[in-house]
Amino acid sequence: MLTVSHLRKVYSTVVAVDDVSLQAKKGEILGLLGPNGAGKTTTIRTVLNMITPDSGTILFDGKPMDERIQNSIGYLPEERGLYRKNKLLHTIQYFASLKGVSSAESKRRAYDWLKRFDLLNYYQQKVEALSKGNQQKVQFIISILHDPEFIILDEPFSGLDPLNQILLKDILLELKQRGKTIIFSTHQMDQAEKLCDAICLINKGRVVLEGAIADVKNRYGKNTVTIEFDGDGKFLSSLSSVQTAHIFENYAELILQDRQAAPQFLREIVSKLEIRKFEMTQPSLNAIFLDVVGGAPKNGEGPS
Amino acid sequence: MNKALAVARWEYIEKVKSKAFLISLLLTPMIMLGMGILPTLLATRPDTSSQTIGIIDPSGEISAPLSAYLDEYYKLPNGNPNYVLRPFSTRSPEELVSAKHEADSLVLDEQLEGYVVMGKTVMSDSAFEYHSQNVGNVKLIERMNHAMRDILVRKKLEARGYDPSVIKDLSSEIDMKTIKLAKSGQEEESAVERVFFTAYGFMMMMFFLIITSGQILVRSMLEEKSNRVVEVLISSCTANQLMAGKVIGLSLLGLTQMGLWAVIGIAISLKMAITLISLPSAGLLFLYFIFGYLFFAAVFIAAGAPVSTEQEAQQINSYLVILLILPVMFAFTIMQNPNSTLAHVLTFIPFLTPTMMAIRIPVQMPSEYEIAGSLVVLILFAFGAIWMAGKIFRTTILLYGKRPSLKELLIIVRAK
Repeated sequence: MLTVSHLRKVYSTVVAVDDVSLQAKKGEILGLLGPNGAGKTTTIRTVLNMITPDSGTILFDGKPMDERIQNSIGYLPEERGLYRKNKLLHTIQYFASLKGVSSAESKRRAYDWLKRFDLLNYYQQKVEALSKGNQQKVQFIISILHDPEFIILDEPFSGLDPLNQILLKDILLELKQRGKTIIFSTHQMDQAEKLCDAICLINKGRVVLEGAIADVKNRYGKNTVTIEFDGDGKFLSSLSSVQTAHIFENYAELILQDRQAAPQFLREIVSKLEIRKFEMTQPSLNAIFLDVVGGAPKNGEGPS
Repeated sequence: MNKALAVARWEYIEKVKSKAFLISLLLTPMIMLGMGILPTLLATRPDTSSQTIGIIDPSGEISAPLSAYLDEYYKLPNGNPNYVLRPFSTRSPEELVSAKHEADSLVLDEQLEGYVVMGKTVMSDSAFEYHSQNVGNVKLIERMNHAMRDILVRKKLEARGYDPSVIKDLSSEIDMKTIKLAKSGQEEESAVERVFFTAYGFMMMMFFLIITSGQILVRSMLEEKSNRVVEVLISSCTANQLMAGKVIGLSLLGLTQMGLWAVIGIAISLKMAITLISLPSAGLLFLYFIFGYLFFAAVFIAAGAPVSTEQEAQQINSYLVILLILPVMFAFTIMQNPNSTLAHVLTFIPFLTPTMMAIRIPVQMPSEYEIAGSLVVLILFAFGAIWMAGKIFRTTILLYGKRPSLKELLIIVRAK
């Protein structure tokens, strides 16, 4: 388990992270969410001991960072890159050696992982011979080759095609099954929704929302309506019964003032739009994100 | 420490295989040999065909003896005279003027290598001129000068009634050898050129060694930074381990280079049966090289860590080259005067110490006190530089965008 308490980091005049506390449990995936510049990367770098916080503590299974813990952390940075001129296997083995894995062992594991990612053909090639997506897969392999207990991934899905996204998702779920503590940051709310057990939403350096996904959604109530339709849905936001609206081309997610108003609302819109689907539901993570970060109007229910 | 060694191993193996390193490894000795030997070879290489030289001699005293002198002393390998004199007629003042014009145009047409011209009073004022398109032909000019001086001296002595045989005896060539005295009392016949070449060679070796490995280092740090590999590295080991690994790896690289050059040097001295440098001197120089190398490695790390673009890296490199070229500028003065105050002062400036010693040790061994003192200063500065570089490296290796100013770097160094 990873416990971060009251983390604070100030860069000359900018408060990058302010009183951030979060917990990632063993065998769980924690989604670290937030808009660009919210402080996700600073938080991650602090956890990794790459930068020293001004205050706050970071504990891994109750202990502060040391070399043994460092060897049990796997990290995939957001901006990717590898030594271009070096052979794939050598590069993987080098990073594994920095994590204390013996040469023979890292060779064996590299072989297995490359096979799983369908990269075995490139084994003896230089990194620059690989496509960007393949390089990214190699980097992921590097981040987990030493079988770390704590896995920290910064935007692991970006740049991968759908097939590889599924592969990565499967591997993450496997690692979770094996009791690893996993944190990943993302902008893609649907990914987070599918994969995470808990989320921590950071905005402007502060935690604005956290908890198990189900709890978070419950806190946002049950007065969310999603509709699929044909026609011009712009008018939806101006209806008096609608508290918040996220309207797309043929799809809208709306939060109503009151759950009881739903039948009335349906009657109102059915004459103006051709409704293909109408569902009373929990809000999506995406809607919650937009609501919390975008500062959409909210009166009545919401997180307190 | 294991991690530092892992980094060192990687840095060493990857860089030893790099093209930049291989090129510098082989090219540097070639350049040094080229600069040290080629000019001498070219300058002393005999001409292959006779050169015609005009002479305008209104006194009529010089032409004949000069021609005889050149014939006697300077011959081509095939036995033909190296220089053929072509006299111009100078009976009247008009002819003198036209002779000069004609000689000028012949020189420009490259039918004459050059011409010698003197006044009627050459016997009293000893003044003459040599006109040529190529006044850089040091060999020819020196020979001409020498010949004219000999002839004028002989003529003057003859005029005072000395016997030509006595004159010949008096003006015979002298033979001076230079003997290098070492403190141990050993004497060693030693050509000035060889001492010069050795000192110069060691200095250039130091120069190239630092330049090439420094550039390799800055470039690789820039690559790690721009492809963000550094983030993965720093999450796997501490900044200190990473830097220690880099310094060790780079030092091994330098040792490899020195080792190979030493082999080349030994091969040359065995082949030519000359001692370029005695063993204790070589050992001492090695010490200076090692610590000088460490000092500069630290400087390059401190300068390279904050850099995040190619342009900045080039800028940094050019500053450091200037720093390194300074001792080369002082080299000649120091060689001529290895015991001057300037030499003593420069020896104690850490970034000049190794090169100054590279020059001074082959020429004249400095005193024990100076050696001990300068070594202590150099070692202190080397470790100080490593300590400072560590602070800068830790703080700036993850920094992107604007390079920190010197003032900001000072704040980093002073911070606890």
